[in-house]
Amino acid sequence: MRGRGLRAPPPISLMTRGSLFLRKIIWALITIFVVITFNFFLFRVLPGDPAKAGVKDPRLSPQAVAALQQRFGLDKPVLFNTQGGNLFDSQYFRYLGALAQGDLGTSYAYKSRPVTSMLGRALVNTLWLVLPAQILAIVLGVLLGLVAAWRRGTKLDVSALIFALFTWALPTFFLGILLLFVGSRYLGLPTGGRITIGADYASFWATAGDVLSHLLLPTLTFALVLLGEYMLIMRSSVVEVFSEDYILTAKAKGLTTFQIIRRHAFRNAMLPIVTLIALNLGFTVSGAIQVETVFSWPGLGKLTVDAVAQRDYPLLQGAFLMLAVSVVVANLAAELVYLRLDPRVTEV
Amino acid sequence: MLLVAVVVAVFAPWLAPYDPYAPSSPTIEDIYASPSGEHLLGTDDGGEDVLSGLIYGSRVSLIVGFSAATISLLIGGLIGLVAGFRGGRVGNLLMRITDFFLVIPDIALQIVIVAIVGQSLRNIILVIGVLGWTPTARLVRAQTLTVRERKFVLRARAVGGSDRYILRRHVLPQVLPLMLANTVLEISLAILAESTLAFIGLGDPTLISWGQMLNFAFTRGAVSAGAWWALIPPGLGIVWVVLGTTLLGNALEELLNPRLGRHFLEKEPPPQATPGAPPAQPELLLSINDLKVTFEVEEAPVVAVDGVSLDICRGEALGLVGESGCGKTTTMLAALRLLPPGGAVAGGNIWFEGRDLAALGPGELRPMRWRQFSMVFQGAMNALNPVKTVGWQIAEAIRQHEPTVTADEAAARAGHLLETVGIGGDRAGDYPHEFSGGMRQRAMIALALACGPGLVVADEPTTALDVMIQAQIMDLLAALRAELGMSLVLITHDLGVVAESCDRAAVMYGGVVVEQGTIAEVFRDPQHPYTRLLLAAFPDIDQPDRPLASIPGTPPRLDEIPPGCRFAPRCPHAFERCHTERPPAYPLGTRREAACFLVERTWQGVADG
Repeated sequence: MRGRGLRAPPPISLMTRGSLFLRKIIWALITIFVVITFNFFLFRVLPGDPAKAGVKDPRLSPQAVAALQQRFGLDKPVLFNTQGGNLFDSQYFRYLGALAQGDLGTSYAYKSRPVTSMLGRALVNTLWLVLPAQILAIVLGVLLGLVAAWRRGTKLDVSALIFALFTWALPTFFLGILLLFVGSRYLGLPTGGRITIGADYASFWATAGDVLSHLLLPTLTFALVLLGEYMLIMRSSVVEVFSEDYILTAKAKGLTTFQIIRRHAFRNAMLPIVTLIALNLGFTVSGAIQVETVFSWPGLGKLTVDAVAQRDYPLLQGAFLMLAVSVVVANLAAELVYLRLDPRVTEV
Repeated sequence: MLLVAVVVAVFAPWLAPYDPYAPSSPTIEDIYASPSGEHLLGTDDGGEDVLSGLIYGSRVSLIVGFSAATISLLIGGLIGLVAGFRGGRVGNLLMRITDFFLVIPDIALQIVIVAIVGQSLRNIILVIGVLGWTPTARLVRAQTLTVRERKFVLRARAVGGSDRYILRRHVLPQVLPLMLANTVLEISLAILAESTLAFIGLGDPTLISWGQMLNFAFTRGAVSAGAWWALIPPGLGIVWVVLGTTLLGNALEELLNPRLGRHFLEKEPPPQATPGAPPAQPELLLSINDLKVTFEVEEAPVVAVDGVSLDICRGEALGLVGESGCGKTTTMLAALRLLPPGGAVAGGNIWFEGRDLAALGPGELRPMRWRQFSMVFQGAMNALNPVKTVGWQIAEAIRQHEPTVTADEAAARAGHLLETVGIGGDRAGDYPHEFSGGMRQRAMIALALACGPGLVVADEPTTALDVMIQAQIMDLLAALRAELGMSLVLITHDLGVVAESCDRAAVMYGGVVVEQGTIAEVFRDPQHPYTRLLLAAFPDIDQPDRPLASIPGTPPRLDEIPPGCRFAPRCPHAFERCHTERPPAYPLGTRREAACFLVERTWQGVADG
C-alpha cells in the first residue's frame, strides 16, 4: 500500500472504507423501509380517512360499499390480523406484498390506470427538468462563488451577493410566473406543457426541438433559484479554505494563485457543496412541484398537485412514496461521493 | 424592512382603500382593470382592488409566518435540548428521527397532510409549524452538546448542581441567542411555505394571503390577460418580507458569530519602494533596514513593527527573541513578503542579495520564493494540506522551481529529504494527519529545504514539542546548516535554545529591536535593561536556588504605544527622558547595538576613543 507513489488515493485502510460504504447503503435501505411504512400509516391515521374515501360515495348502497371495501381489502385489520388465520393477512402486509410486485394501486380519478405507470412516466419528465437545471446551477454557482470569494469585497463580490440574496427570497413559483410572463409575451416561448398540443412531428429532431423550447423556461427558473444558494455556500467555503494555513505555505512555495486554487483549494472547498446538494434535495422536490405547476410540465410535481386537487389518494400516496424514496437515494449518492472525496471521514 | 411589513399588516383596515372582504358584484369591466386613479394597482380577477388585497394579505402571511415559526421553535428547541442534554440512547434516537424527517421532502408531507385534514388557517399553521422543527432541533442539539462539555458546566455539576439548575443557568443562556437567529430564518421559511401551499391551491380559500392572490391570478388567466399588476405586487410582498427576515437573521448571526472574512489570496497592494542603496558587504545575505509594518484595523492602522534593522550573513544563525506579540514573527513575515491580508510594509528596505524585496511585485518575488528563502511556520498543524500526501507537497515545491525535474525524480528527492530529517522515506505517501506533531514539524523542515535555499526562517520550531524532540530538531538544524552552509533566522522566546544554537541574537520588544550582538556579547554583557531582566528570568543551572525574576507589567498594546522608549513603563532604571524621547539604536561595536539612553555614555566613549 505504501510506496505506491505520491498520488496514492486516500483510504485510511481499504477495509474500513469499504465497510463505511456498506453501512451507509444499509442505512439508506432501512430508511426507505421506514418511509414505506410511514407512508402507509400516514394515509390511515390522519382524520379524514383517505383510505376509505374512494368508497364513500353516498349514492352507493351499504352492500355495494361493503363489496367495494372487500375488493380493496379495506375490511381487513390494519397492522396484524388477530382474528384467526394468517397473522399477516392485514392491510399493511398486503400493501407490502403489492409493493414488492410493483403494484401501487389504481388511481381514484383515472379509474383504469395503475398508479405505477403514471408515476414512472412522470418521474422521467421530472428528471428531464431537474437534472439539467441542477447541473447548470452547480457549475455556474461554483464558478461564481469561487470568483466572488477570490475577489472578496470588490464590486463583483457585492453584486453577486445581492443577486444571491434576492433569488433566495424569491419564491420559486413567483420567479416562474415572471419568466413565463416575459417569455410568452415578449419572446414567443410556449406557455406550458411538454409539447405543443396536437403537434405531430415527422422527425425526431423536430419533436425534440419543440420539447426543448418547452423545457427552456422551467429549467431556467429552476436553475436560477438553486444558483443563488450554491453560489453563497461556495463563496463562504472558498473564503474559509483560502484562510487556511496551508494556503500560505503554498503561496510561500512560490505557486501562482491559479495553481494554488486548482491544486490545493478547490477540492477542499467543494466538500460543503456536496453536502449542500444532499441537504437541498428536499428543496429540489419543492422547486419541482412549483415549477411544474407554473409551466404545466407533466412531471412528478404536477402529478402530485393534480392528485391533491382531485383527492386522488392512491395516486397521492404513490407520488409521496416516490418523492421520498428519490430523495433518500439521491442523498445516499451524495454521501457516497463525499466519502470518496474526503480522506478524513471515519464515522457513518 | 420587517417593521414596515408588520405595521402595514396591523393597520391594514385603515390603510387599505377598499375592503376586500366585503361582498361585491363586479361587472366585466372591473375584472383585470389596469392601474388607474381609482385602483392604484388595478383590479384582480374578481374586480377587487389589488392594493387592498396586498395590504390585507400581509396579515395572513405574517400571522402564519410568526405562529408557525414559534411552534417550530418550541418543538425543535425542546427536542434539541433533550437530545443534547441527555445524550446517550435517547439522544441518539431523537437524532435518528430528526435525520429521518430531514430526508423526507417537507413540502410533499405538508401537501399530503393539508390535503387530508382540510385547508383551514389553523391547520396550515399547525402543519408548517409542526413539520418545521428539524433544522432548529439539529442546531439546538449541537449547541447544547458543546455547552454541556464546557468546563463551567462540569464544574457546576461537580459542585452538585441539579440538572434543572444547569439547564437554566448555563445551557439556556448559551443556546437561546442562536435559537433567536435561527427563528428569524424559520419565519422566512414559514412564509415561503405558506405562500407555496396557497399557490398550489391548498391555502385557506376564505382568507386573502399573497400566495392565495397569486393562485387566483395565475389560475384565472392573469398571464394571458397581461395583467401584470395582479401578479407582481403579491410576489414582491413576499420577497420584501422574506428579504427582511433573512437580512435580520444574517445580521443577528453575524453579531453572535462574527467572522473575519479575509483570506491569503486577496489582491495585494502595490509594493512601495523606499529609496536607498543596498549594503556593500557581499557576505550580507539579508539586510533589513528600518522596516515598518502596519495592520489595517477598524479605527486606524496600527504599527506593529516600527523601524527594525537586522542583518544576517551567509551561513550565520540569528536568534530573534522577545515576548509574545513583540513583532518578531511579523518582522520576518514582512521580510519574506508573506504578511496576512490587512498587513503591509509601510517603509524601509529588505535587501536580499542586492535586491529590495519590499519594492518587488508578486510576479517578481515568485521565482525567488523557496529557492532563495523559505520558512518553517509556527504551529505546523495545519500548514500542510490535509488532502494531499506529504511527499507530494514536497515534490511540488521542487518541481515548481526546477521544471526539468521529472515527477519520479522529484518524488525520490522528497523521500530523501524526509530521510534527512529522520522520517522514513517510505512515509512520503502518507497524509499529514497520519503524522505525529514532531514528525509534522520535521516534515515542514524537510519541505523548507526542498529547493536548497540560502536562508531559512524557522518560527518557533520547537514550541509545543517535548524536550527530547526539541533537542533532536535543533541538532538537525545545526547539522544541516553545517552541511549546506545556509543561514538561519530562529524566532523563539526560548533564550536557552538561542544560546546553544545561534551565532547572534537580536532582542525585540514592542515592535522594535532593543539589542543586537553576538551570543557572547548579548548573553554575557547585556546592555539593555530588558535583556538583563529576560536573562534574569531564566533559571541558571549553576544557581538552582536563585529566585526567578519576573518583569512586572505587560507589553504595550499596539494601539496605545507610549511616547518615548517602549520599555520605559516597566523599566526599573527609567528616568524622565525615557518617557518622552525614543532612544535610537546606539552602535557599540561592529554589529553591536542597544537602544537605551543608559548606553549613550558608553556609545560616546566608544565614538570618541
